[in-house]
Amino acid sequence: MASVSIGEPARPQDRVITRPRQKRDWAKLGLGTYFCLFLVFLYAPMIVMAILSFQGYYGGITFPFRGPFSFNWWRSLVDSTVAGSPTHATDIHTATKNSLLVSVAGGLIVALLSFTLSMAFRRRWRFRLDSVAFYVIMLALMTPGFLLAVGTQLFWSYMGLQPSIWHTALGANIVWGIPFGFLVMLAVWNRYDARIEEAARDLGADQRRTFREVTLPLIWTGIFGCFLFGFTLTWNDYDRSVLFQTRATDSLPLEIGGITFTSSVRPDLYALGTATTVLSLLVIAFLLLLASVRRPRRGEPVHRVEEEFGVTEGLGGLAGEG
Amino acid sequence: MSSSFAPEPPASVALDLDQAPDERRLIEEATHKERFDGLKTTAWALPGGLWLGFYLLAPLVFIVLVSFWTYQLGAKSGFTTQWTLSNYGTIFHSSTYWHNMLQSFYTSLIAVAACLVFGFPIAYFLALKVEKLKNQIALFIIALAPFWTSFLVRSVAWTYPLSHVLTWFGVHTPSSTSVRLAMVQLYILFMITPLFFTLAQVDRTAMEAARDLGGNWLQTFRIVILPQILPGIVIGSIFIFVLTMGEYGTVLVVGQNYVQSVGTIVNSYIVGAVQYPQGAAAAVLLVLALVGGVFVITRFSNLREDI
Repeated sequence: MASVSIGEPARPQDRVITRPRQKRDWAKLGLGTYFCLFLVFLYAPMIVMAILSFQGYYGGITFPFRGPFSFNWWRSLVDSTVAGSPTHATDIHTATKNSLLVSVAGGLIVALLSFTLSMAFRRRWRFRLDSVAFYVIMLALMTPGFLLAVGTQLFWSYMGLQPSIWHTALGANIVWGIPFGFLVMLAVWNRYDARIEEAARDLGADQRRTFREVTLPLIWTGIFGCFLFGFTLTWNDYDRSVLFQTRATDSLPLEIGGITFTSSVRPDLYALGTATTVLSLLVIAFLLLLASVRRPRRGEPVHRVEEEFGVTEGLGGLAGEG
Repeated sequence: MSSSFAPEPPASVALDLDQAPDERRLIEEATHKERFDGLKTTAWALPGGLWLGFYLLAPLVFIVLVSFWTYQLGAKSGFTTQWTLSNYGTIFHSSTYWHNMLQSFYTSLIAVAACLVFGFPIAYFLALKVEKLKNQIALFIIALAPFWTSFLVRSVAWTYPLSHVLTWFGVHTPSSTSVRLAMVQLYILFMITPLFFTLAQVDRTAMEAARDLGGNWLQTFRIVILPQILPGIVIGSIFIFVLTMGEYGTVLVVGQNYVQSVGTIVNSYIVGAVQYPQGAAAAVLLVLALVGGVFVITRFSNLREDI
C-alpha cells in the first residue's frame, strides 16, 4: 500500500488509467473452429478420393493406402492398358469429349437465355405477366431433376422424337441452369446504375452503341457467371441425363455411374472423379480470378473542345440546327 | 410495320371526346409507344419463355396426362390415350409405394432439420462474426465451392472410402442413415446461402439495442434476429425439402438398392417395367406431396411481403 502511494503522481490528471483489456470473443473462436470442422466434412469426400487415386498396383477402394505412391490409376485414364489389364480409357475419352461439348453448349445457351429473360424483367413488364414468369422460373429451380427427366422422356417418345444427350438432356439441364443464371443477372441489374446509360445517350450515343460500349462492359462478368453455372451444372449432371442415355459413353457422369454400378470399382474411378472435380474447381477459380482482375474498360477519348467549337462535322451541323 | 395493320380508331370517337388534335396525337403516340415497348419486352422474354415452355411446362403437363392414360403392351410408346383412373388405383393400393413415400418424407424432414441445425452456426459465423467484407466473401466462396462439383462423385466417395470412417461412428454404409448423411453434405449449402444473406441484412443497431437493454443472447436471437431471418429459413427449408424428396442419384449410389425412395420406385416403373402411366401416376403423387410440403413450409412466413 505504501509503495502505491509513493508511485502516485501529484496531480490527479497524470494518473495512468489502464482499461481492462478487451475480452476474447470466445463465441467467435468456437464458431471458427466449427467452421473449420465443417470444411473438413465438406471437402472430405474429394480429399479422400484424391489420396486413394495415387495408390499402387494393389490399391483397393478403401483405406488403408496400399502400395507405393504411383500414377498408375491416373495413367489408366489415358492408356487403354495399364500393367497388362484393360482400362475404360476409350470410353472415358468419348464421354469426356461429349461432356465438354454439351457443357459448353449448355453454358452458352444458359447465358443467352438468362440475359434475355433478365432484360425483359428489367424493362418493367407491361402486361402483368412478370409474377407468372417469375414463378415459372422458380418452378424450374424446384422441379426435381429426375421428375423432369421422366416427363421429357415420355413427351419425346410420344411425339416420336429421338431422345438423346443433345436433344433432351441438354434441354433439361438448361432448365435447371436458367434460374441460377437469372438470379445472377438480377443481382447484376440491382447494382447497375441506369443513369450512366442516360449519360451515354445524352452524349450522343445511339441505343446500339450505348449497349455495346456502356452496358455490355459493365455486365459481362455477370453473363460469364451465367455461362459457368450452365457449364458446371451440365458437366456434373446425372439425374437429368440418366434416362436419355443410349450408351453409357454419352457423358462423363453417366460413365462414372456406369463404372460404379456395373463393373468392379477400382481406384481408377477415384482418379476419374478427382479429375472431374478438379476441372469444376478450376473453372470456378478462373471465374473468380477474372472477376477480380477485371480491367476498367475505357472508350475512345472524346474531344469535347472540338465538338463544342463545331470542328467535328456531324455535331457541328447539329449545333447549327439548335 | 405492324402499326400499319393496327386498326385506326374511328374518327367519331375523337370528335365525341372533343379533344384538341394536338392532344389526341400525343395520346395516340403514347399508346403506340407503350404497345411497342410491350412488344419489345415480349421479344426479350420470348427465347427463355419458349425454352421453359417446351422443356419444363410441356413435360410436366404431359406427365399428368400420361398418368390418366391406359397401359397397353405393344402400343406406341407403351400406352393408349384412353382415359382411366386405374393407374392411381394401383398406386393407392401399393403398400411399397406408400412405404417409400413415408420413408422419403421422413428422410426429407431429417435432412431439413439437420441442415438447419448444422448450417445455422456456419451462416451466423460468416455473416456476423467475420468482420472484413473481403474475408467474408472469401470464406463464403470456399464453403460454397463444392456445390459446383459433381454430386455423383461425392456420393461415390461416401459409398466406398468414407464407409470405413462411418463405421467408427456406428453407421453402416448401405443404410438410410448413410444416405441421409450424404444428403446433408450435398445439400447443406442450399440452407447456408439464404441464411447467410438474410443474416447479413439483420439490423445491427437493433441487435445492439437489445443487448443494451439487458437481453441475453437467446432473447436477442428470439426477439430480434429470428423474425428477420425467417424468410431465409423458409427458403432454405423449401430447397432442402424439395431436393431431398425428389432425390434419385444419391439414393441409388449410396443406398445401393438397400434404400428406396420415391425416385427409385418411379424409376423402377419407367426403366425396369416400362409401365409409363403407372410411373407417371407415382410421379404426380410425388409432385402433390412436394407442393403440399412447400405450402406448409411457406405458412411460417409471408414470403411475398418479406422479400
